[in-house]
Amino acid sequence: MKEVMTRRAADNVYLHKDFHGALSCGIDYLHRHFGAPAVRRYLRDFTLSYFAPLRNELKIRGLVALKEHFEQLYRTEGGDAQIELQADTLTVRVQRCPAVAHMRDHGYAVAELFHETTRTVNETLCEGMPFTAELLDYDPQTGAGTQRFQRRPS
Amino acid sequence: MISCTDFIPAYSELFRTLENLGGVAAVDNFWNDLSDRFLNNLRDRVTAHGIRGCWDYWSHTLNEEAADFTMELDEDAGLFRITMHKCPSKGRLLACGHIEPYHGYCRHCDVLYRRVLEPLGYEYTFDGSGCDQARCAITIRARHGA
Repeated sequence: MKEVMTRRAADNVYLHKDFHGALSCGIDYLHRHFGAPAVRRYLRDFTLSYFAPLRNELKIRGLVALKEHFEQLYRTEGGDAQIELQADTLTVRVQRCPAVAHMRDHGYAVAELFHETTRTVNETLCEGMPFTAELLDYDPQTGAGTQRFQRRPS
Repeated sequence: MISCTDFIPAYSELFRTLENLGGVAAVDNFWNDLSDRFLNNLRDRVTAHGIRGCWDYWSHTLNEEAADFTMELDEDAGLFRITMHKCPSKGRLLACGHIEPYHGYCRHCDVLYRRVLEPLGYEYTFDGSGCDQARCAITIRARHGA
């Protein structure tokens, strides 16, 4: 039997959640072969380079830039998250992490340090800024947790 | 959390990190590990359905990745081909002006899938001559008996 399929980029929505599993494999590999500090250095380097425009927005517009970033992220991924900005505090409460949920649903291993994709990335977003980032709680089974960003006391 | 829509730049940076830590060998070792641990979906489909397993696997992934491609399957000839008119991964890296793509980024497609398919009895050919323009082609042929 012969078959042919032709698609243009605009024919589909770009959302391939299996990528979460591949990233988890990469984090696990780095951890096993080069240690936990290498995982954190990698995620810091990635954040400083790729999220440079977001960090610039954070510098100029403050926490509202991060609020918009997380709203877009969870809207795209379909996660269950409450995002609240009050005065100088942004709180992101994740009930169901779409990345961890996809990996659990499809039988992909979740790396022991997968939470660093939240903690290290958030801390690096705020590095050198008048803001702090904290991962207040995190459930590795579901990825549920609370992230808090605050303006540093002057 | 890093969105899956931001994965490709994270993947590219991971390759660069591995090369800085252990040279090109560390990158290749990771790709081999990823192929062994993460591509069971492709391995299982081809084991169960032969060359059609390739069609089934890439029908899923390339559509979710919003790729610009033509796929051809000829089961009688034992042939499967992907002509990638614009790779969504390399295309994103090239379009993202503020980061430098890992120099050997496209080579992962040669390593990962070859490692699955050759032991199953298939010839795997990757033409990466158009990679700098986000174009490539993959041809998979069943060897006798596959």
